[in-house]
Amino acid sequence: MAEFIYSNVKREMEAYGYDSVVKSHCRMCHGGCGVLVYTRDGRVMKIAGDPDCPINHGTLCSKGIASAQLAYHPDRLTYPVRRVGPKASGKWERISWDEALDTIAERILDYKERFGAESIVMGYGTGRENEAVIYRFANLLGTPNVLTAGHFCYGPRIATSIITCGSNVIVDYENHPKCIMVWGNNVVISNPDEYKGESFSASLDRGAKLIAVDPRLTRIAARADIWLQLRPGTDAALAFGMLNVIVNEELHDREFVQNHVYGWEPFIKRISEYPLEKVEEITWVPKEKIREAARLFATTKPAGIQWGVAIEQQVTCTDNDRVLMALMGITGNIDVPGGQVLFRTPKIRTASQFGAHKMLPKEKAAKRLGGERFRLAGNFAIINPKCVWDAILEEKPYPVKMLFFISSNPVLTRANAREVYRALERVEFMAVSDFFLTPTAELADIVLPAATWLEMDYVGDFWKRHGYILPRRRVIQVGECRSDHEMLNDLAHRMGQGEHWWDTFEGGLDYILEPMGITWQNFEKMDYVRGDVRYRKYREKGFSTPTKKFELYSTLLEKWGYDPLPQFREPPESPYSTPALFKEYPYILITGRRLPGFFHSENRQMPWLRELHRDPIVEIHPETAKKEGIDEGDWVVIESPRGSVRQRAKIFAGIDSRVIGAEHAWWFPEKKDPGHGWEESNINILTDNAYTDCDPAMGATPVRTLLCKIQRGEMEGGIS
Amino acid sequence: MRKHALVIDHESCWGCKTCELACKQELNVAEGVKLLSVSEDGPKTVDDKLDFVFQVNVCRHCDDPPCVDACSEEAIVKREDGIVVMDYEKCTGCQACIETCPYDAIAFNTENDLAQKCNLCHHRVDKGLVPACADNVCLAHCIYFGDPEEINEMISKKKSATPSLE
Repeated sequence: MAEFIYSNVKREMEAYGYDSVVKSHCRMCHGGCGVLVYTRDGRVMKIAGDPDCPINHGTLCSKGIASAQLAYHPDRLTYPVRRVGPKASGKWERISWDEALDTIAERILDYKERFGAESIVMGYGTGRENEAVIYRFANLLGTPNVLTAGHFCYGPRIATSIITCGSNVIVDYENHPKCIMVWGNNVVISNPDEYKGESFSASLDRGAKLIAVDPRLTRIAARADIWLQLRPGTDAALAFGMLNVIVNEELHDREFVQNHVYGWEPFIKRISEYPLEKVEEITWVPKEKIREAARLFATTKPAGIQWGVAIEQQVTCTDNDRVLMALMGITGNIDVPGGQVLFRTPKIRTASQFGAHKMLPKEKAAKRLGGERFRLAGNFAIINPKCVWDAILEEKPYPVKMLFFISSNPVLTRANAREVYRALERVEFMAVSDFFLTPTAELADIVLPAATWLEMDYVGDFWKRHGYILPRRRVIQVGECRSDHEMLNDLAHRMGQGEHWWDTFEGGLDYILEPMGITWQNFEKMDYVRGDVRYRKYREKGFSTPTKKFELYSTLLEKWGYDPLPQFREPPESPYSTPALFKEYPYILITGRRLPGFFHSENRQMPWLRELHRDPIVEIHPETAKKEGIDEGDWVVIESPRGSVRQRAKIFAGIDSRVIGAEHAWWFPEKKDPGHGWEESNINILTDNAYTDCDPAMGATPVRTLLCKIQRGEMEGGIS
Repeated sequence: MRKHALVIDHESCWGCKTCELACKQELNVAEGVKLLSVSEDGPKTVDDKLDFVFQVNVCRHCDDPPCVDACSEEAIVKREDGIVVMDYEKCTGCQACIETCPYDAIAFNTENDLAQKCNLCHHRVDKGLVPACADNVCLAHCIYFGDPEEINEMISKKKSATPSLE
């Protein structure tokens, strides 16, 4: 017997009689992992990681392995349907693609003529690698309104990093940081954006020091040298405390600060407003621990901050991102090997260029919903969701008549779900493209069957900032499903946008690749392309900001009428900001911890993944559980001033006794009524979306920090 | 004969459960039946520090497996290479093996009244393939297949790594 070799493709093919294996690029999350798709008689039989892929080195996650179960799921929508009963009646009839797209095109053109293109809102949810094509469609149509998760997920990191230093700063795990500070992130479960857990894990195995900032004890926090268990929503204050230690003890990189930073003097004045005693009071973290962490981070080089979405779903969103960048910057970790690198994308058309933002007329851009209130978001073509619901329900500042959601389930994933539901019930016309009839799709007029990643060709990761692009190759066809790209390309022709589109979307792929001098046909034969890797580029050309410096003091935020320096804002609902409310709702509720297998509202109908996690779980400290008379596994009613839902109790000592941790985006596809249990455990029934509670620059809704009360038992109204 | 074993470095496990899915994909056992499962152990206070780890529970392929003796049908045998294989054709569903397993590592499939356990993908091993859960799926690279002594040496080497300060 020959040696055992990991992922032995040849032997695997022989042993199982597979007739082909296709290298592709998974997209069960935001995309990223190289995969091998084994097929027999045209059917996907096995999905494995590609050991030659530089992103994941052959490893994979539960979602990736389960992809075939998604593609072949019996409940999957495989042809277009039109609703024939009232909304949420579950009555549908099959229609042809021609009829579906002609109807949608007709409605768009009609609303555009009668109410202006801005009355049509396009939407997507989390990143599904369809962002650029949706923006292109919207911009060419002339609507400035594309509703995404960008106000409170990744969009803020992009916007704040661009205004601070020109692009997003990515931890350079390839060169193994010696210290990693994981802040509001569980990278080994969520594999977020540019990152996969594998490279982070490998750096730890090489002995990197680990600091974890998290209100919950994750395995990362358990393994950390220092765990800072902060009060939820006080991240900026904690970072200010650390900055204070670093500056007072002169642990900062003087050369970088002197030559490459803008606004040092006012910045250190601002951080002096957060002495450690005050920070301890705000964050509940002992000052000795803050000092210890600050010293470890500032003196161990290179170091990186692995940041996550948790810091963005707060009233302090923009400034959380900015203070963490300040920590990276003043410690000299920007654009150095093993630090946080401004990676260069290969020479292709960027997602922003492909999105045709320049084609949107200025007078239309000025009509972007919420653009005048949330000006950082507005400048990055991002809108706050409540602006859309209000425009539907109150027709202010103008009526929104049509929604077109592509891979989005806002009934589950946007704050104040009951308001979302009312708006979706009210809107005149709604089209949806998705894999299943979700609770959101059940409110649509037409639902289109979307292709999974196994059913499309694409330039994977071309929107990311880690510097790689990888081919996603079509392996199968399921029913009449079409990729969002093919669908919009077709629809655009029916709308008279044809001159800006292609015969088939392969032309769009060629267009992305054109600056490299290659076509899709060339690219699909390649494993991947990586941009040039160079460090400390700012020494030659400065940073791509108005001052050419790393802007601790943001000249752009100042221009847009905001405080140019970061600040901490107390969460809009908290023991300190709303003490009267706190008497009635005596716990801080955090939401949205990451779970293996699920991706926001996705995958709960997939047997292999649901088996990992059957029920929605709320984490409660043992003392709190005892006080409230709650036992492990009990159903618990969680209530906020907006409403109540139920989740099952997990008694968990890894959370503060004053904090309750609930899961997000739960619905129950196994319930066949058209609501699919969207009201039962959906934590966004509890969250709020008032404009005054959102981040003033980005419009982020504070879905991670609110107040609640809990009790054992069933809800009134009897959900069983 | 070279010994085959599965060794799991639990300290390194992140609890991502990819191994559970790799097992499901390979064997497609019935819903609710897990031949390998990842669970949380803790949190508990260790040296004044709150700690928890993940435990991957799977057949240990014991040196002296009690399940072999417990099975009156001789459905379970320990092979020369160390793999303990359960023959489902011979299983009558009496569950004596389940009761005797000290690790709670044998599952019962109520659909067809059969005991089921990890056979260390012997169908793969016999063709020179690594068992599905250990075939480089794990992001922590914490599931090892091969000779247990060699593996333990590798793990301790990995654990003693310190950052090189070039």
